[in-house]
Amino acid sequence: MQFRGFGGFVTSALIAGAILWSFVTTDVELSRLMSAGPRIADFLGRMFPPDPTVMAEIKKGSAETLRIAILGTLGAVILSVPLGILASETMVSPAVFRPIRTLLAFIRAIPLILVAMLMVGAVGLGPLPGIIAVAFHATGMLAKFYAEAIDGVSRAPIAALESAGAGPLVRLRYAIWPQMAPVVARDTIFRFELNLRESLILGIVGAGGIGFYIQTYVRSFQYDKAASVTIAVVVMVIAIEAINVALRRRFT
Amino acid sequence: MSTAVEVDDLSFAHTGADLPALERVSFRVSAGESVALLGPSGAGKTTLLALLDGRLQGWSGRVSVLGAPLDPDRPPPSARRPDTGFVFQEFALVERSSVLRNVLNGRLGRMSPLRALLGSPTKHDLEIARTALADCGIADLAERRVDSLSGGQRQRVAIARCLAQEPRLILADEPVSNLDPTRAGEVLALLTGAAQARGATALFSSHQPDLARRFAQRIIGMRDGRIAFDVPTSELNDDATAELYREVEPLPGLSLRAVS
Ligand SMILES: Nc1ncnc2c1ncn2[C@@H]1O[C@H](COP(=O)(O)OP(=O)(O)O)[C@@H](O)[C@H]1O
Ligand SMILES: [Mg+2]
Repeated sequence: MQFRGFGGFVTSALIAGAILWSFVTTDVELSRLMSAGPRIADFLGRMFPPDPTVMAEIKKGSAETLRIAILGTLGAVILSVPLGILASETMVSPAVFRPIRTLLAFIRAIPLILVAMLMVGAVGLGPLPGIIAVAFHATGMLAKFYAEAIDGVSRAPIAALESAGAGPLVRLRYAIWPQMAPVVARDTIFRFELNLRESLILGIVGAGGIGFYIQTYVRSFQYDKAASVTIAVVVMVIAIEAINVALRRRFT
Repeated sequence: MSTAVEVDDLSFAHTGADLPALERVSFRVSAGESVALLGPSGAGKTTLLALLDGRLQGWSGRVSVLGAPLDPDRPPPSARRPDTGFVFQEFALVERSSVLRNVLNGRLGRMSPLRALLGSPTKHDLEIARTALADCGIADLAERRVDSLSGGQRQRVAIARCLAQEPRLILADEPVSNLDPTRAGEVLALLTGAAQARGATALFSSHQPDLARRFAQRIIGMRDGRIAFDVPTSELNDDATAELYREVEPLPGLSLRAVS
């Protein structure tokens, strides 16, 4: 990127101004950062060795996170099928798909953790607010993906089946669905991966899952136990990604 | 001899287009004939064939296909559609489905909607599909996915799908213009041969005069939505063909219209 002429000068000045403003108005005490070295070492020291006795909690927490992700994804799929159709430009008129797309963009803009906090307030602690939050949050993306899958279908085979005398449902089954299915499968798996990753931390706001234990152990200064749970989370994320890569390869 | 296609004073303009794509077109095709629509791109060949296939509405004039008049304002009843088969320039296959599945798709209009939805072709349907594959020389490709095939193989699949439909009229829109010359000759021979063997009428479009000459008994020349000539192949003369492809007189400041 290159900034040229007066416009370039203004852009550079604005960026410099933004950085300066952030420094000046934030209480960045460099001295605190300098003296933090030993404290960080102490903190890390207390995390080691990780306490392996929390295996039971890890299992219970990860199972709950997995359930939140599965049911949350299911909820998102159920919401995304009708919303995806309503957001598709080849299925409905602009008067319908424009507002629906705006609504989906609005949903996507709300962070999951915020939705989860609101849901905890509305339905109380536990996995239920987590599931609702994941379903709601994921729909913003998944319905958009489904709409794109519908719109990406090539029209020619549909015309060919129409020409052969096949009715609308038969065309949906043999010309539209075979084109859409792999895209829908890939998008749903991708969203499930994101749901699983994102719901790992839902417990921090009381919306169920393994994050609950991280929060509990950190608050009670049991850093060795928090470390074990953190390692478990990292292992899970890596495993999810590996499984997802393998799955996605099947749908090309 | 009975009439397969009868078109009388047909005019049509696409929605949003300022010039008509078809203007006062009249011709007839007898049952069992093999006729070529010859003309440069933009002549109206695709429009005419899609219209005969019942996929365009809002035209004026009189059109009757296989003895039944087409309604200018609504598509033909689905029971009549399988009688007219269509071969598309871009093949129009479901790329991710198998060759056999695509050929069976040609049977969908001949099945009850329930059987079609349940996806259970009868022995008879399967037999017809297998015969069509064999006739097109691709019996060994039945289980292959279409996206793994060459262009020539794909058009053979599309022709097999059309034959599985058991049409009495075969419309083909530039069926070989995406193929190399050798493949083009083979596939067009297959298409017109299969139509003849089944006693079906064939009406195909082409922008290549030599292909039209080799595979049609009669040639209808089109330009700018009108019929320029309609002659038996033996009477086609080079002047008429040259006239069909004559470039529009260039106006100063305007670019030439593509005629390939
Ligand atoms: N969907 C469409 N909308 C508007 N104009 C069209 C459409 N399809 C074709 N046309 C116009 O109609 C005329 C005939 O086109 P077409 O039937 O495709 O000719 P050909 O198949 O001989 O090349 C052309 O001028 C083309 O630009
Ligand atoms: Mg064309």
